[in-house]
Amino acid sequence: MNQRLLKSTFRTLRRESFGVFALIALVLLIIGPLTTVVMWAFAERWRQPSLIPTQWGLSYWTETLGRADVVSALPASVLLATIVTVLSALICLPAAYAFARIQFPARQGLLLSFLAVNAFPRFGLYIAIAVVFFRLGLVGTVTGVVLIQLVNTLLTMIWIPTSAFQGVDRALEEAALDVGASRLRVFFQITLPQVAPALAAALLLTFVATFYEAQGALLIGLPNIRTMAVLMYSYINNQIVVQYGAVISMILWIPSLLLLSFAQKFLRGNTVSAGFGV
Amino acid sequence: MKVLPTIAPPPSGKTNINIYLDADTNITDWYSNILIPAFEKEFTVYKVNLINVKGVGNGTGTFVDRLVAAKQTGADGQAEIVEFDVRGRPETVKDGLWLKLDASNVPNAKGVLPAAVVSEYNMPYRGSQVLLAYDSAKIKESDVPRTFPALLEWVKKNPGQFTYGRPDKGGSGGNFVIRAIHEVTGKDPQKFYASVDPDPALVKDLDKAWELLRSIHESTYDKGSYPAGNQPALLLLANGSVNMVSAWSDQVLINIDKGVLPPTIKMAQFTDLPMSGGYAQYAVPAGTKNKEGALAWVNWMLKQDRQVDVIKSLGGFPALKWDQFPKELQTQFNSVVADTIPTWPGGKWDAERNKGWYEKVATNIKQ
Amino acid sequence: MLAPRPSSQWRTWLAGYALIAPPLALLALLIFFPAGQAIVRTVMLDQDAGITSGLTLDRYLNFFNDPIARSNLSFTITVTLITVFFQFAVCFPLALYLRFSTSRIAGAVQVLALFPLFVPGVILAFALIRYLGPRGTVDTFLRVVLNYEGFVTPYLRPSGIVFALTRDHIPFTILVLTAGLRQVEDSVIEAARDVGATSLRAFVQIIMPLMQRPLLIVFCLNIIGTFGAFTIPYLLGPAAPQMMGVYMQQTFSEYLDRSGAETQAVISFVLCALVGALYVRTVTRRRGERA
Repeated sequence: MNQRLLKSTFRTLRRESFGVFALIALVLLIIGPLTTVVMWAFAERWRQPSLIPTQWGLSYWTETLGRADVVSALPASVLLATIVTVLSALICLPAAYAFARIQFPARQGLLLSFLAVNAFPRFGLYIAIAVVFFRLGLVGTVTGVVLIQLVNTLLTMIWIPTSAFQGVDRALEEAALDVGASRLRVFFQITLPQVAPALAAALLLTFVATFYEAQGALLIGLPNIRTMAVLMYSYINNQIVVQYGAVISMILWIPSLLLLSFAQKFLRGNTVSAGFGV
Repeated sequence: MKVLPTIAPPPSGKTNINIYLDADTNITDWYSNILIPAFEKEFTVYKVNLINVKGVGNGTGTFVDRLVAAKQTGADGQAEIVEFDVRGRPETVKDGLWLKLDASNVPNAKGVLPAAVVSEYNMPYRGSQVLLAYDSAKIKESDVPRTFPALLEWVKKNPGQFTYGRPDKGGSGGNFVIRAIHEVTGKDPQKFYASVDPDPALVKDLDKAWELLRSIHESTYDKGSYPAGNQPALLLLANGSVNMVSAWSDQVLINIDKGVLPPTIKMAQFTDLPMSGGYAQYAVPAGTKNKEGALAWVNWMLKQDRQVDVIKSLGGFPALKWDQFPKELQTQFNSVVADTIPTWPGGKWDAERNKGWYEKVATNIKQ
Repeated sequence: MLAPRPSSQWRTWLAGYALIAPPLALLALLIFFPAGQAIVRTVMLDQDAGITSGLTLDRYLNFFNDPIARSNLSFTITVTLITVFFQFAVCFPLALYLRFSTSRIAGAVQVLALFPLFVPGVILAFALIRYLGPRGTVDTFLRVVLNYEGFVTPYLRPSGIVFALTRDHIPFTILVLTAGLRQVEDSVIEAARDVGATSLRAFVQIIMPLMQRPLLIVFCLNIIGTFGAFTIPYLLGPAAPQMMGVYMQQTFSEYLDRSGAETQAVISFVLCALVGALYVRTVTRRRGERA
């Protein structure tokens, strides 16, 4: 007994020594570069090679928050990303289920075809899409931007859930059906809990990718719809004054961190067959 | 789907002027804080909507693609003015995408500097030139090269201390490469205007320019690591990684003003033939819904006050001829603004320049 | 499930097609249609030359005969493979750790590992130039504090692309791998963990087969994402050779060569599709065993 306890403690320590190591490495790797962004956001002047800003201040915060385009773009971006993510889940998750569980001809080819979304470069496609959208009167409208961003989400929202649905332990499902559970109940109590972490991951990836998508939003949304991503790119890319971009980037971390802490619950996930009380 | 907050429609009775820029924040601030309020006060029927598309995709070039799409379908392109040099997309000119701009619809165009005009479908409104920016704390003024061959010598003698940006990623590198081209083609910038399509014999001559630039390839910063843009090049100067770069004059001034560059940074120009410069160009889509508004803005920007403001607020060059300004201003700014800046036809010549440079100068493949 | 009779088989097929119809329709309208046009253009004879129809493979031959194009392609493949290797080397141990551990440290590690998700490429590139660039934070720190002058910056070098793209893909890789690991039953994990402490081979034999799908999906999507990367190689990479994403954009808008860019796009797409097929085959494979 004692020996087992010792063994498990030793194991925990070993495991956590990896955790501590990982934590330190990640701080250097992830937080390190970001401190640069944070310092720039609070820098009035920063002449390299000084390690820290040569003059600190908040003036870029008040200026950025006072810009009308920034103030109206933030809620627009959050709403757009939410709409796109929800729509994407509605059309893609059933499709992912079908790809994983239903046999039909040309299934492989069709599943593969979604690759075209990410593997074929967009710049050529967007012009052709713009032609279609001008015909339909969708340029400069919310619907137009939603559609173009929706198409960008297809690969993530279909491939990851398909893999998850395919990995569901069917023995459990069939056992539950055998003891008389309804199909619906089996889906919600057996299938869903198993795929929940993967679905949460797909949703999170989709939301964030949409939130930061700029080229489609620019080409289809302007001049009526301006997203934070479009603003952020214009404020930071090849700019002399990078403080605006740094401030905007930091502002965007707030909804991001909220989202992440919320998603954390689902990502850490419950284990297989939890809630199945037959 | 109307729940989203969008840019508010213009107040009743006003028409929108959508202006698309591909610009730094100092330019957009100039528009938002000075130009637009003044214009809207003078022209109460218009509401100006400024959209900066810098940094996303290919900037205004990407947006021009959208205008092409709009034209194909006969739809409203939702743009009145685009800051875009139409020579970059010659097929758009051929297809009639743009409105012709001259004194008949822009009265103030008659005072415009002929050298600043690049196309009858463009109207220049502010200019700048490329020169050498160097750290005077590290390089003595007397050692600063004043001719192109002297620069090449200097770079070879001081390896790793000079760099220029990739020619397609910003004019500071692009015009430096053009200066090398001018050097080997008899220092006659006009040669390149002889025909619309690049003359094959002249294209062949570019090889000599690639040889020159290749000869300093190993001696530039980090043995030929060319930064990807105007600002990345200046940042290497700012942090002391290099002591000399080619740069836009106005950007050097702003960088010193914003404390990015130390005050010891000074500027120098070649005395035999300066590096070329460029003018920001307005283009007006022919199918725009608010042609009157677009033309009113362009004409208003060419008024003397605005053009003086180009010098004072931006450190740039006015697009008007000097005789359009009062005497005292002429003498005041004469030292800042060169009389003649060499120019370059752009368009397909840009394509030749970029392709040649990537294939013969920056390449890792042994020639 | 019973062996389906013909009529019920039809119904199954229909149900399948009905479920995939909405995303497929969107895909057809917004991607296939324009992409198809682009592909057709790459094999058509040049219209400017006065010939209106006829097929040619010249553009593809030109691509493979051009030493610059070939060097860019092989550079892209090399960088992609190295980057994907590092992505796995960093993320696989992390994902396993996150699956095994429930401690607070693990929670912190997860938040940190996922945070780059919210830092888009342009901000990352801008931050890395100041952090790892010449006379950047790390360089200056080493010079001033440790008096070490030999720091070699990854900025404008291939290593800069590899570093930034590895870091950029950490959240995605971790998310998908941990989600996959969560589908593995605890009892299996326990068993694996017990032997895993002593025998790597046993671990590999138990865990790896269960991880096959998530590993493959991460492998495929990371290859595709890295292969087509634009912002990071543009801002952090060398002037030559270039990644295909940058090269395509340049050919399209700087060399004014639309069909050339489209040819490069098709070649890149075919390479990515080959990798994608690997994933699709695994996911759609009929399961051998039935309960």
